[in-house]
Amino acid sequence: MVIIPATTGQMGVLPGHVASIAELKPGVLSVHEGNDVTKYFISSGFAFIHGNSYADIIAVEAVPLDRIDAGLVQKGLAEFTQKLSSASTDLEKAEAQIGVDAHSALNSALTG
Amino acid sequence: MASNAAVPFWRAAGMTYITYSNICANLVRNCLKEPYKTEALTREKVHFSIATWKEGKPEKPGNCPLSRTSDRVDFTVS
Repeated sequence: MVIIPATTGQMGVLPGHVASIAELKPGVLSVHEGNDVTKYFISSGFAFIHGNSYADIIAVEAVPLDRIDAGLVQKGLAEFTQKLSSASTDLEKAEAQIGVDAHSALNSALTG
Repeated sequence: MASNAAVPFWRAAGMTYITYSNICANLVRNCLKEPYKTEALTREKVHFSIATWKEGKPEKPGNCPLSRTSDRVDFTVS
């Protein structure tokens, strides 16, 4: 089973899942094989679930969780929260919001 | 005229998906531990050359973007 971080929420995919395409948000992808769980942090992308129980995950960046530096995540979260409150144009607000979302997801990935 | 569906906040702000995805990827890369971070930063580099065409002929291609009407230019890494 695979749990993917879809924009609509955490989505579980089992063999035999109906074919679908899901847009992914920054979050944790966990692959469960028996009792083993392997987790990756996905920056964003898509998940293509095919009708024959195959699924493809397309992501720009996918890193195992142990490669993430907690200190840098905290620093980034604080920086973007600050940017969000001081942003003026729509574009600045959007960029700051993306920063907050991504760093919050990184944070929960490390602590969850 | 009402909008059909809720658009993501970044699209409402005029950003394309590629820009959004690349921003997310850069943020994640900047939060990596060494040596993965330096490896990842090499993935971030984009090489491009631009040639303006006049009267069906390319002028000398250069590496610097010439006059742009928008501040943000998207290039996909090849």
